Amino acid sequence: MSAEQAVAEPQGTAADEQIVAALRAGDERTFRELFERSYPMMKRVARGYVASDAVAEEIVQDTWMAIVTGIERFEGRAALGTWMFSILTNQAKSHGARERRAVPFASIAPADVEEPAVDSDRFQKDDEAWPGHWATPPRPWQKPERRLLSLEARDQLKEALAQLPERQRLIVVLRDVEGLSAEEVCDLLELSQENQRVLLHRGRSRLRAFLEEYLEGPNA
Amino acid sequence: MHDPGPRHDGHLAGDFSVTADEVTCQQFVELVTDYFEGSLPPRTLSEVEEHLVMCDWCVTYLEQMQATVGSLRNLGDQSSREPPELLLAALRANRAGGP
Repeated sequence: MSAEQAVAEPQGTAADEQIVAALRAGDERTFRELFERSYPMMKRVARGYVASDAVAEEIVQDTWMAIVTGIERFEGRAALGTWMFSILTNQAKSHGARERRAVPFASIAPADVEEPAVDSDRFQKDDEAWPGHWATPPRPWQKPERRLLSLEARDQLKEALAQLPERQRLIVVLRDVEGLSAEEVCDLLELSQENQRVLLHRGRSRLRAFLEEYLEGPNA
Repeated sequence: MHDPGPRHDGHLAGDFSVTADEVTCQQFVELVTDYFEGSLPPRTLSEVEEHLVMCDWCVTYLEQMQATVGSLRNLGDQSSREPPELLLAALRANRAGGP
């Protein structure tokens, strides 16, 4: 079982039941396995809501405390992964809200939809020769693999990811950073396939635009 | 203004006619995720593929989206850790409180 499946088992009711029973019985081995496998993903999701690794670690710990102490009340109405994930995002949101009170200039997340992938100024207008075709086309990135692997680029990308609206960020983290399938993400977040794709598209498009600026900017 | 790609030169010279079915670059950039996800309806898929044959700029755009997704994959760190004693104690309490 992969790390992803450990938390995001789509309809593994039998596996869910086993895990729930093990946690209720205080089975340390099952707990350790689940904790260790899900830790990087949980921390990364939490990190999207708060400004430091330390607080993200605290959120993961609080989430697990809520899972361990609340497993007795888990009724199996949602998949176990969905239940755990909702605890995680609730914990992360309340920590994030506390942080935002301390940081008055935190940006307000813009709407998820109705934002073009590329600024409309970059395409020809209706009265031009080729309406809807590039006016300012993208320029090929030079050696993107190497440049995007640099520590600085990774930090910049993490920062850009943190700036995405919440749902876009969650989906990009789960799909592209963690490698979950579309089905797993829809299940975890209780989203339709179509909404999942729209949010993934908005998030990825913004990050592409960010990298374009970064790779072509004055520091390139 | 950037140097237009060679295929686009032909394109701009009117090598093929614009039809209502043609995908524009502006439409393409909104379809690229559905294209990656394999969720385009067959007709749109063939229009997108025809567009990519014609348009080097949109191929560049597609490659940039792929590079973006690839760089996100590299953000993953596999560091895990042991559960803290506090949690193990809470887990053991389940055992004690169980049937």
